[in-house]
Amino acid sequence: MIGNQLALIRREIWEHRSIYVTPIAIAVIVSLVSLAGMVTVSAFDKELNMALFGASNIAGDAERQAALTAFFLGTSWIFLFALAILTTFYTLDSLYAERKDKSILFWRSLPITDAETVVSKLLTALFVLPLVTVAVIILTHLVNLVITSGWVIVKGGNAAHLIWGSVPLFDNWAAALIVTVASALWMSPLIGWFLFVSAFTKRSPLLMAFMPLIIIPIIEWIFFRSKIFASAVFGRGEMIPLFREMDIEHFFDEDRMVVNEELVRLLAHIDVGKFLLSPSVWTGLVVCGLFATAAIYVRRYRDDS
Amino acid sequence: MTSLVTARGVSKHYGKICAVDNVSFDIDKGKIMGLIGPNGAGKTTLLKAVLGLTECDGDLSVLGLDPFRQRKELMRNICFIADVAVLPRWIRVSQLLDFVESTHPNFSREKAEALLANTKVNTRRDSRVRELSKGMVAQLHLAIIAAIDARLLVLDEPTLGLDIIFRKEFYANLLSDYFDEERTILVTTHQVEEIENILTDIMFINEGRIILDASMDSLGEDYVELLTSGDKAEQARSIGPIAERDVFGKKIMLFEKPDRERLEPLGDLHTPSVADLFVAKVKGAMT
Repeated sequence: MIGNQLALIRREIWEHRSIYVTPIAIAVIVSLVSLAGMVTVSAFDKELNMALFGASNIAGDAERQAALTAFFLGTSWIFLFALAILTTFYTLDSLYAERKDKSILFWRSLPITDAETVVSKLLTALFVLPLVTVAVIILTHLVNLVITSGWVIVKGGNAAHLIWGSVPLFDNWAAALIVTVASALWMSPLIGWFLFVSAFTKRSPLLMAFMPLIIIPIIEWIFFRSKIFASAVFGRGEMIPLFREMDIEHFFDEDRMVVNEELVRLLAHIDVGKFLLSPSVWTGLVVCGLFATAAIYVRRYRDDS
Repeated sequence: MTSLVTARGVSKHYGKICAVDNVSFDIDKGKIMGLIGPNGAGKTTLLKAVLGLTECDGDLSVLGLDPFRQRKELMRNICFIADVAVLPRWIRVSQLLDFVESTHPNFSREKAEALLANTKVNTRRDSRVRELSKGMVAQLHLAIIAAIDARLLVLDEPTLGLDIIFRKEFYANLLSDYFDEERTILVTTHQVEEIENILTDIMFINEGRIILDASMDSLGEDYVELLTSGDKAEQARSIGPIAERDVFGKKIMLFEKPDRERLEPLGDLHTPSVADLFVAKVKGAMT
């Protein structure tokens, strides 16, 4: 059973190379952009020397951490955005392509159940895609830190102190891992819906997946003058119960004129317990499970002859 | 003799259309059964039922299992090639072998490698299936299937779209690499003449019904063709042929359960080809 799952998930990665090609392509672009940024600001020689001097002598650890974390967030958010698009296309294609190229008959000639196949695709969407993305985020972070270190050294700064002594690697990476995986789990009802559409639709899965999401809110508005469906589907992304109530006012301690060290850490803003205890997380997973079960039944009982 | 496939009163309806109509048959171990029928006769539906790909009414048992409900177990001991095009086009040859090896308990990698060593696919391990010719894809598929220690092999138009050389090679390899008395083959094809010399048994299906179910050996005893002309043709016609056709001004009549002593003086007797018998049977079933 587990052996089959591993083989099936490996097959998904073989078939959908975009799972790793997309984040790597973004990593290259992000790294090139930050490199270009450094080259550009190098023109402001005097200001840079001032900034480096300030960072080395005046700013405290918390300030440097805040700056480096902001740099990390600035280069990482785009991966999450790409992951959302990648997951949409992957799930919509996953049970549709095998019917389109008729390879479904070959896959079904092997001793693998329809449930195992659908579960492998669900696991790929919920875990493999996010984990690959996190791995590439971490890699990009390291590459960017190395580039920045080189640049600081060229400018006469102490990279060991300014960069590597200050960057909260574990905090940044753990936060990226938690946020990415939690986002995938939080959006699981949509992932389940996409899998189901890809299992049943005869053509254009993208259109079939989004048409109901657009038509149902319109009908709801016409008949009930309410927006419950629309806010549940499109507003869900913003409602993820993962973050603590932000107390941004205390981010900068005005009395001491320093950044509040406690709030600089990304993990301080994340509340995994709240996420795991949230009924809407579990309701979402149940909805995802129902759609996946429906996809299994469609794959098993469909007869196109 | 053990029966691998047992069908009793099997039917399959698609809405009001009856694709398979109350069919009963047995396929015994060690046989090569040809399932022959015109387009839309119900061949593929029947094969799908045997493979557990579609649900049907009636009693159908394959290797002692209910094919639809115990499909995973069944697939350990059944292989099928539904069409040469069904191998996924994006996969590399080496990936395909890795995948089957890790998911099929009865697959022998060594045997597959040995079979591929004699084909053009051998030097193309890193190629994707879409980069191979149709013939190579068929060789690859057959090598994988032959390397699976399965008891029943189901082939649905396995050589469709292949040229004559590959078709001949395919069936020759099938016999040499796959078949032995422990294994059984169920095959459908339009090109009856290409497989009739390898079949041990034959079934004709038309409009969802089986109109002939016989061993190839018995065909020669049960059916005979008479080549005749003139007055003798009139006499022969009175004996009641099931089909008659004209060839170069002569008559060829096909008789079922023939009285050879009466027919012999009327012309030349020979065993009909499966194709001629098939045409006669289908026409007979329609009148």
